[in-house]
Amino acid sequence: MKRLVAVAAFSVSLLALTSCGESSSPAVPGVSPQKSDVLAKAPVATAAEILPGSTMEKIKQRGELLVGGSLDAPLLSQQNPATGEMEGFDADMGKALAKYILGEPKVKIVNSASETREALLANGTVDVVFQTYTITEERAKQVSFAGPYYTSGLTIAVKKGTTGIAKPEDLNGKKVLAGANTPAIPAIKKLAPQAEIITFGSDPECIQALKQDRGVAYVQDETILIADAKKDPSIEIVTKPFTTDPYGIGLKHGDEQFKKFVNDWLKKMQDAGAWQEVWKNSIGTVVAGEAPQPPQIGSVPGS
Amino acid sequence: MSTVLFDEPGPRARRRIRVATVLGTLAAVALVVLAVRQFAANGQLDAARWQPYATWPMWRYLLDGLWSTFLAAVVAAALSMAFGLVLALGRVSPRPWVRGPAAAYVEVVRTIPALLLVYVVLFALPRYGLDLPLFWKLVVPLTVSNAAAYAEIFRAGINSVERGQTEAGLAVGLTRLQTMRLIVLPQAARRVLPSIVSQSVGLLKDTSLGFVVSYGELLYSGKVLAAYNGLLIQTYLVVALIYLVVNASLSKLARMLEARQRRNAHA
Amino acid sequence: MGVLLEHLPELWQGLIVTFQLTAASFAGAAVLGVLVCALRVSPVRVLRALGTAYVETLQNLPLLVLLVLAFFGLPEIGIKAEPLVTAIVVIAAYEAAYIGEALRSGVNSVGKGQGEAARAIGLTFAQSLRHVVLPQALRTVVQPIGNIFIATTMNTALAAAVGVVDLTASAQRVNLVEAQPIPIFVGAGVAYGLIAAVAGFVTGRLERRLVILR
Repeated sequence: MKRLVAVAAFSVSLLALTSCGESSSPAVPGVSPQKSDVLAKAPVATAAEILPGSTMEKIKQRGELLVGGSLDAPLLSQQNPATGEMEGFDADMGKALAKYILGEPKVKIVNSASETREALLANGTVDVVFQTYTITEERAKQVSFAGPYYTSGLTIAVKKGTTGIAKPEDLNGKKVLAGANTPAIPAIKKLAPQAEIITFGSDPECIQALKQDRGVAYVQDETILIADAKKDPSIEIVTKPFTTDPYGIGLKHGDEQFKKFVNDWLKKMQDAGAWQEVWKNSIGTVVAGEAPQPPQIGSVPGS
Repeated sequence: MSTVLFDEPGPRARRRIRVATVLGTLAAVALVVLAVRQFAANGQLDAARWQPYATWPMWRYLLDGLWSTFLAAVVAAALSMAFGLVLALGRVSPRPWVRGPAAAYVEVVRTIPALLLVYVVLFALPRYGLDLPLFWKLVVPLTVSNAAAYAEIFRAGINSVERGQTEAGLAVGLTRLQTMRLIVLPQAARRVLPSIVSQSVGLLKDTSLGFVVSYGELLYSGKVLAAYNGLLIQTYLVVALIYLVVNASLSKLARMLEARQRRNAHA
Repeated sequence: MGVLLEHLPELWQGLIVTFQLTAASFAGAAVLGVLVCALRVSPVRVLRALGTAYVETLQNLPLLVLLVLAFFGLPEIGIKAEPLVTAIVVIAAYEAAYIGEALRSGVNSVGKGQGEAARAIGLTFAQSLRHVVLPQALRTVVQPIGNIFIATTMNTALAAAVGVVDLTASAQRVNLVEAQPIPIFVGAGVAYGLIAAVAGFVTGRLERRLVILR
């Protein structure tokens, strides 16, 4: 029954989405969440932009863009088991970049455990990384960042009816759930040093643990928590994001030519409204309203 | 041995056994019913939660994962058997400078959790410029740790071959290496075959560490599926069922091999 | 080296948890293992089948799957325990299958005449098992059981999957903060090595003391 409600809610939000998409941009009819349409507005680079001897030329010759990403991040980069296709914001951005270089969205996702992204870029296993890759000056010593292309932040979810948790500092002395190896762990340690952190390997496990009262709160990226709260009405989000995580596109360190190329593409994506389409098709399916203002390219130290 | 410890039960004992069986079964059934009712009360038996696993694409995805499990297990087994054989030969070598390192490797590696080895390959090696592809991030630590186990099995096999066999080989003028290769190893291999199979089942179970590495084996596929459909418990139950069927079949194979060998030994 | 000293309290706490996990689950596994062995050699067919089913199920599932399933599944049928307790019970149940099998092979290695003699002087099944067969079986399986103990220690590392912060998990957490994997993981490895070395020493001594000179 719960599931039925969730499905209904989901389809209603989809309906709302399609209708608003149609009304706002009648020039592009049938804005529906289908892959081919999502990238309709995505630009393609001119031959002159693919400089000889550059990384993009190498990719073009290979005929495939190698993207470092996840398989199990709903709304961002999730493999659809039924089709094998990658779905979500990060996944579609990767496809859009592939379309820009190759003329068609041909990508190969290299599943990267988040600790090793720097190494994957350094030794050329992947061309780019789209994986909630927060730009930091520390990381910028090892990789180059194009973007930021999206800004998110950590927030807190609790079981409905829980009281006494309104800000990160309230987590002190409580049992707090977090995904193993996620940025939530250092963030909690900093803001609520007395919290007892319990980690699990995946988001559904953390949700299950929260519902079974293994901890009173769950700290995770806002996008993921919004999706969870939509799927499961017994969970609610109690704060605005308390961190600002600008996500960048990871590139090989020092490849300025490619960085400029990717930044130009990102600008064109935003100008053409393609960025907004990708957002609506993924994160926009659970977040009400219009697509937010994309972050200013190069606005973050390290980008 | 076990059969000589009791007589065939008489009529009274048989009746007692029957009564106890019935009572025990009733108690067990009652417990199961209670558990299932609680399970259902929590909504875990809702048709909607199981419906995805009645569809082919979900199974195809998991079976793809199973295939990757096999691939990793077979490669890791082949490599660690080869490495283990070298180690075992090292441990029975008459030269101390060969014996020492081989023994040290086995004794040290045997005491390090496979998960810790996985962490080393996952987090430590990339810092020193060695970033293996995902497949090898799982296979290398499994090989390192299972090589020690296979080495001990092979060594037990080699030691179980009577000394006279080696002496006879040397007496007819074979070199030490030839004796080992032509006389001792073939006999040893046959004796340890069941242990090899059960160790390989253990290795297949160890590939579930792919969950940590993000290598797309069976358990990790389950993780991706659960992230997609949010059906954590159902997904892991199905994954457990697949492991059970596959490993039970392999164990059965091991027992058949063992039985055949015992027959051959008598013949 | 500096990182190890700096984070010694956390790592020490992790080591204590690893000790607790190992000691408690091995003790549980030993008790349960004797029971499993008794089931597998029992005169009653139903009980034998029960023992076989137990061993087959537990030996053929990866411990990681068992842990995750028990941790998240059992609360759904109304059984909920702390992560540490869940981990101990699951690891004990898992290793009991191996101990049961080791004991059974020990029982089978005891000479047939011993069993026949025990029966001849009128001992019942339980008595002959307890006074004659098991004491002898134990001696032959000291080494295999020592190996199972070491395996149990290694397997406790998987408890991290259900939120228990043992030695491996605390090492990994320190690494997340400090990003110095080599000293941290080598330090943890040495600690495990020491546990296993102590276990090896004890089993060696036990074997020598228990061995029957014929």
